[in-house]
Amino acid sequence: MSTLGRILMVEDDPKDVELSLTALEEYNLANEVVVARDGEEALDYLYKRGKFAERLNGNPAVLLLDLKLPKVNGLEVLQKIRSDEKLKMIPVVVLTSSHEEKDMVASYKLGVNAYVVKPVDFHEFVNAIRELGVFWAIINQPPPGSMRKN
Amino acid sequence: MKSKPHSLMSLSAVQRYGLAVLSVSLALCGALLLERFEFHSVEVPLFLFAVALSAWYGGPGAAVVALVLSCLVFDYYFVPPLHTLYISREDLPYFIIFATFASLVTWFSSVRHRVERELGKRTAELEAVNKELEAFAYSVSHDLRAPLRHMSGFTELLRKNSASALNEKSQRYVKMILESANRMGLLIDDLLSFSRIGRAETHKTMFSLDQLVQEVLAEARQETEGRNITWKIARLPSWYGDRPMLRMALVNLISNALKFTRTRSQPEIEVGCTDEQDQVIVFVRDNGVGFDMKYVDKLFGVFQRLHTTEAFEGTGIGLATVQRIVIRHGGRVWAEGQVDQGATFYISLSKSQGV
Repeated sequence: MSTLGRILMVEDDPKDVELSLTALEEYNLANEVVVARDGEEALDYLYKRGKFAERLNGNPAVLLLDLKLPKVNGLEVLQKIRSDEKLKMIPVVVLTSSHEEKDMVASYKLGVNAYVVKPVDFHEFVNAIRELGVFWAIINQPPPGSMRKN
Repeated sequence: MKSKPHSLMSLSAVQRYGLAVLSVSLALCGALLLERFEFHSVEVPLFLFAVALSAWYGGPGAAVVALVLSCLVFDYYFVPPLHTLYISREDLPYFIIFATFASLVTWFSSVRHRVERELGKRTAELEAVNKELEAFAYSVSHDLRAPLRHMSGFTELLRKNSASALNEKSQRYVKMILESANRMGLLIDDLLSFSRIGRAETHKTMFSLDQLVQEVLAEARQETEGRNITWKIARLPSWYGDRPMLRMALVNLISNALKFTRTRSQPEIEVGCTDEQDQVIVFVRDNGVGFDMKYVDKLFGVFQRLHTTEAFEGTGIGLATVQRIVIRHGGRVWAEGQVDQGATFYISLSKSQGV
């Protein structure tokens, strides 16, 4: 388990980003996180456009996706990823505040790999983020074409 | 708007008055034909039928036209002297009764149409309000949670990072912030699941109440290990309804019973039923702290509590949820209790509903 996968976190709320990074720091996973602040930025990253034009090749090992995002919302991002040959294998985890069944059903219909409701309780939240980070960036074997760091 | 295909709006004025003329003509043809075969006195019901038809599909205007036409045609063809429009004195009441009766039919049908229109409007309004409420609950679930998480999260980090810098009083404040944030989280969750019961569709089936209670008890027993509870479970009948929802109702009642017997050394919880002619009444009885019957009306209100949070935890949504579920099943829920003598909660569901 010497390799770490890159995590693309799509989250518009800076406080949630900070809390998540704090949670990931403990396992030294925070450095592997790229943050996109809305759906458009996430797509820019995946397609190497805009401010991500210069980044290294390869897909992230996992995409942590919020649903309620400015400009392009999470479900639209997910749909775009699943309909693109080059991107469709990227593991996507929806990480949202929404308990709503229709969001969950829509996400699974679009082929999400996991659906996680952000716990309100801080400890549970930290645990959830940490476990997600460890599982997807360390334990899981990402599909071919993912960025890896030895 | 869902309305009948033949509503007033869908016919033009020409069509409506045409309908009046047509239906009277048909009635006349029918009456003349029947008269030829020696059937007499069938004209009046036939013309009444024509007026009713015009009133129903053509509205009051068409009904009046049909009524006047019917009177004229009837007089001309069937009232002696035939083939004149003369009305003798003794025939007059006959016409008046016919006209009155036809007017009555017209009036009924126009009232019925108005009610239908009104109902359609109300339904549309209700649907709009419902949608709004749904959007509201949705945004509550999304937007209210995030600030809460930040409050508790950063307070937690503060406690972790500056524990040594905070004096005892400040540490207590931090603890209270955290407790309040958590409580608010619980309240939001409960309120959301409560509102979801109102919106979710019910899928009713026949199921064994015995089995359901066993399931609920198996779950409850895991949480009550070490407590010496006497359970009295009667044989229970089958129930007709949405199983997951009614399960939630029973879970709420049983966990209430467990909660409010916590101060008892010999807790007793009984689940039983009384089978009446057309309904099954299931009850959950405990020997816990009970309640004062003068507050019985408040028991089932949202966020209504009869105990302090320190004495018994909870958000005050459990019984409101039970009531909502039972009402959605067309049933009834009520309670009896006495301070320090325990409480009994009853749910009655009709046997025949939908079966």
